[in-house]
Amino acid sequence: MIEQLPIINLLLLLTMALVIPLFKKRSINTTTTIGFIVLVVVLISSILILNHVHVNGSFVYRFGNYSNVFGIELLINSFSAFFTLFIIALVIPVYLYSTGDATEGVAEKEYGRYYILLFILLFALLGIVYTNDLFNTYVFMEILAITTCSIISIKRKKENYTSAFRYVMLNELGSLSYLFGVALLYMITGYTNIDLVSQSLQGVWQLYQANIITAIGFMVVGIGIKAAIFPFHIWLPDAHSTAPSSSSAILSAIVIKAYVLLLVKVMFRVFGFDILDSFSIPGIITVIGATGMIMGSVFAIAQKDIKRMLGYSSVAQVGYMVLGLGLMSGLGMKAAFFHIVSHGMMKAALFLSVGIIIFHKKVRKVEDFIGLAYQMPFTMVVFSIAALGLIGIPITSGFVSKLNLGLAIMDSGQWFFIAILILSGLLNAIYYLPIIINAFLKSRTETPQLMHLEKVPILMVVSCFFLGFAILAVGLFPNALLGLIEAAVQSFQ
Amino acid sequence: MNILELIIEHINYLGAAAVFVIGLYTVVNHTNFIKRIIGINIMGTGVFLFFIAIGNVVGGQPPIIDVNNPDVLFINPLPSTLILTGIVVVVSITVYSLSLVIRIYETYGTIDQEEIAKIQKRETDHD
Repeated sequence: MIEQLPIINLLLLLTMALVIPLFKKRSINTTTTIGFIVLVVVLISSILILNHVHVNGSFVYRFGNYSNVFGIELLINSFSAFFTLFIIALVIPVYLYSTGDATEGVAEKEYGRYYILLFILLFALLGIVYTNDLFNTYVFMEILAITTCSIISIKRKKENYTSAFRYVMLNELGSLSYLFGVALLYMITGYTNIDLVSQSLQGVWQLYQANIITAIGFMVVGIGIKAAIFPFHIWLPDAHSTAPSSSSAILSAIVIKAYVLLLVKVMFRVFGFDILDSFSIPGIITVIGATGMIMGSVFAIAQKDIKRMLGYSSVAQVGYMVLGLGLMSGLGMKAAFFHIVSHGMMKAALFLSVGIIIFHKKVRKVEDFIGLAYQMPFTMVVFSIAALGLIGIPITSGFVSKLNLGLAIMDSGQWFFIAILILSGLLNAIYYLPIIINAFLKSRTETPQLMHLEKVPILMVVSCFFLGFAILAVGLFPNALLGLIEAAVQSFQ
Repeated sequence: MNILELIIEHINYLGAAAVFVIGLYTVVNHTNFIKRIIGINIMGTGVFLFFIAIGNVVGGQPPIIDVNNPDVLFINPLPSTLILTGIVVVVSITVYSLSLVIRIYETYGTIDQEEIAKIQKRETDHD
């Protein structure tokens, strides 16, 4: 029975997306309630899958029981089970938030469309993490590309159309580059299944070096465009800042992580250490990651719009993950995985708290944050927790991920990157601390009126608070999460 | 002479790669949105041709099983089926981006990247 759950998860999400139009005549609450039930069911089944994987080991699900030479298969191991659980668990607070502030700038009768896109997006995300087939991954990537772009352009504003168009063009460049890489691998091996490709590559890779280096280049660049790794990030700030707040949280916290996870799969499951090392790919990837860590923050300092600043901050944070992966060690991968989880929580909390501020005060410039904590204390507390987490202050989860990354760098002996890590943390502090200081310490002349504090739907504040709490909880007790991540890292060795 | 033979032997792969690069050039170099979408389609065609070229077997027949004569060398049908999926995907992306272009034309009155950038700059200065 448990073996059937992954496909049931996917089908539940897809079916939910398809039945939403049937409730068009009812109030939007019907849709959101049913959607919430579906998400909780998927969450429970993901927990069951993770438990099953830890007890009985990994398993594969084959569609129609075709052999894996022709057929599509889902691989459920401690890596995919853990990260699907992470995605669903992080989506639930964002979903609860979106029921309050469904989507600013969208007509009320179109809320249903937003949820259709959201559920198809989740379906594609889970698919990318589960699937064990390179071509199937391409199909899921394209589903994800269309839904993410539509979720940006759903807001009927001028700049949304242009940023969505730029996003769709770059997405398509990325997907087609990735597909070209898959074609080059298919040329050598004759398979698209990741396990079979990797087995055949291990035997013959010395004979086809030209093919393999081209394939690595195309695939890494293609995924890099979609994951907003530093030189390919130009679409991200526009796209993430113009999207509705709840979509920005999903795009920034989860969607780019799915591509980072795909990069992990391609690097470590398809090619493996020997091939990458012989082409000196790890050095290139660490340098790209380190440059991203610095440049993302440098761009973020210059921004006046708070959501654009958060977007550039995501570029910097993806650099941390890429650096961790480029170290090519178990410790580096562990640090990268932990940072995927902790950055997911922190960036979701930041976008949601900023979303509440935009919803309530209709301001989105950095200088408008002066004295805001007197009017919206709860929201600003969550914002500060998450921002301090990104800087790397102890007792937040960001500290644990930076600590792990530091340990991994020391283990690899490339001391130069320690300096980059510290510098990047300081740059984070340069643009987050002034906001916090302005909000809490600089008072406006008007006296705060307790009756008018935070007049926003309660679910929005609760979901935001939950994320802030989770950041502190993971920061104080990281061991349970580190155990799961350790198991996920083990599945690559 | 050797290189010439190499080129002739791999002309299908080289052609596909050339189509891919032409498409890439079109996407990157043009400011007109419709031309960019055309470029994406050319790129996609390049990848698809490359896949089909991989599936070719020298002297192979189309993979239709003849009951009377079962021992025929077939070409590999798997890349073709993969590419059918790929074509559908690129069509849907094209439709979506064309619908976006319609919206952009309705709001800005132009579909040229540079003119839109000018309009946007004017608007931000105006704020």
